[in-house]
Amino acid sequence: MAAAVAMETDDAGNRLRFQLELEFVQCLANPNYLNFLAQRGYFKDKAFVNYLKYLLYWKEPEYAKYLKYPQCLHMLELLQYEHFRKELVNAQCAKFIDEQQILHWQHYSRKRMRLQQALAEQQQQNHAAGK
Amino acid sequence: MAAASGGEKEKERPGGGAGAAGGNSTRERLLSALEDLEVLSRELIEMLAISRNQKLLPPDEENQVLELLIHRDGEFQELMKLALNQGKIHHEMQVLEKEVEKRDSDIQQLQKQLKEAEQILATAVYQAKEKLKSIEKARKGAISSEEIIKYAHRISASNAVCAPLTWVPGDPRRPYPTDLEMRSGLLGQMNNPSTNGVNGHLPGDALAAGRLPDVLAPQYPWQSNDMSMNMLPPNHSNDFLLEPPGHNKENEDDVEVMSTDSSSSSSDSD
Repeated sequence: MAAAVAMETDDAGNRLRFQLELEFVQCLANPNYLNFLAQRGYFKDKAFVNYLKYLLYWKEPEYAKYLKYPQCLHMLELLQYEHFRKELVNAQCAKFIDEQQILHWQHYSRKRMRLQQALAEQQQQNHAAGK
Repeated sequence: MAAASGGEKEKERPGGGAGAAGGNSTRERLLSALEDLEVLSRELIEMLAISRNQKLLPPDEENQVLELLIHRDGEFQELMKLALNQGKIHHEMQVLEKEVEKRDSDIQQLQKQLKEAEQILATAVYQAKEKLKSIEKARKGAISSEEIIKYAHRISASNAVCAPLTWVPGDPRRPYPTDLEMRSGLLGQMNNPSTNGVNGHLPGDALAAGRLPDVLAPQYPWQSNDMSMNMLPPNHSNDFLLEPPGHNKENEDDVEVMSTDSSSSSSDSD
């Protein structure tokens, strides 16, 4: 108990812990890393599962504003479910998630490209009509 | 004889009555008085009839009968008056009962209305409470729009949530921290980096794609100065093996997980 109290008042230690947990929670956005963890049996460890539950504090806005890859929060929420953790042992599962993530990631750029194309076509038409 | 108009009265007379024969109700007494009168008058008439035929009669008997007759008649008159009074009282009672019924129905009506009103009010109060709750919830989650815009800018400028416009398959950039980024961060630097390719990317790819400078640039916001000390993670992080909220050390042999906690945490949750 005294050691825990001492730990909490240790500024540098807390700052370090903050950075480490920030890094780790964002690593969870990487489906390949999750597959790695699953295959090495980390998801079967009760302490690890409890740790994942503890990491849910990153959902609070005061903490979430430090996240660069906000998709990690969704993965964290999914990881709370045992079924998901079990599924992640398969490589195809991880690959599927990866593909979907990348496709989703490209959603806005695709949309913008489509808009640009549409705009370019329209300009061409106007140009041709104006002639 | 006098008409027994109070025939339907069955009231009991409080206190003792005249010592006549018959039951206690006025009606019975009236009827018995009538019978007595009838008997007495018949006797009298018989005696008069007899005295017309015969010369003598014991005069006492006549007088007795007469007196009895008068007495009975007096009683009868009293009983009639009594019956009349009782009738009046009974009538008043009926009127009052009607009043009472009317008030009863009024009260029931009011009760119904009160119940309805109460229900409506309860619903209104409940909905108002729900509204207040949701207002409170909304207020709690209120974030300044400027912060949100800043955050949105931050996550999109680094291509973390939106692919770069020139992205083609083969580009090593990803919406999550890649292998190289993970190793070059604080976590990776703490332990010996593992030699397996964790991602699909080998370390060489990043170099080949010329993305190194970006990758090694400050990835995570703590490398800028916006972290404040009161933003520390919740303090029960050192014990994860026990039942939550008592946790234990979580960092057995995982390469990437932080291991500095173990050096200073030896405490149980109690």
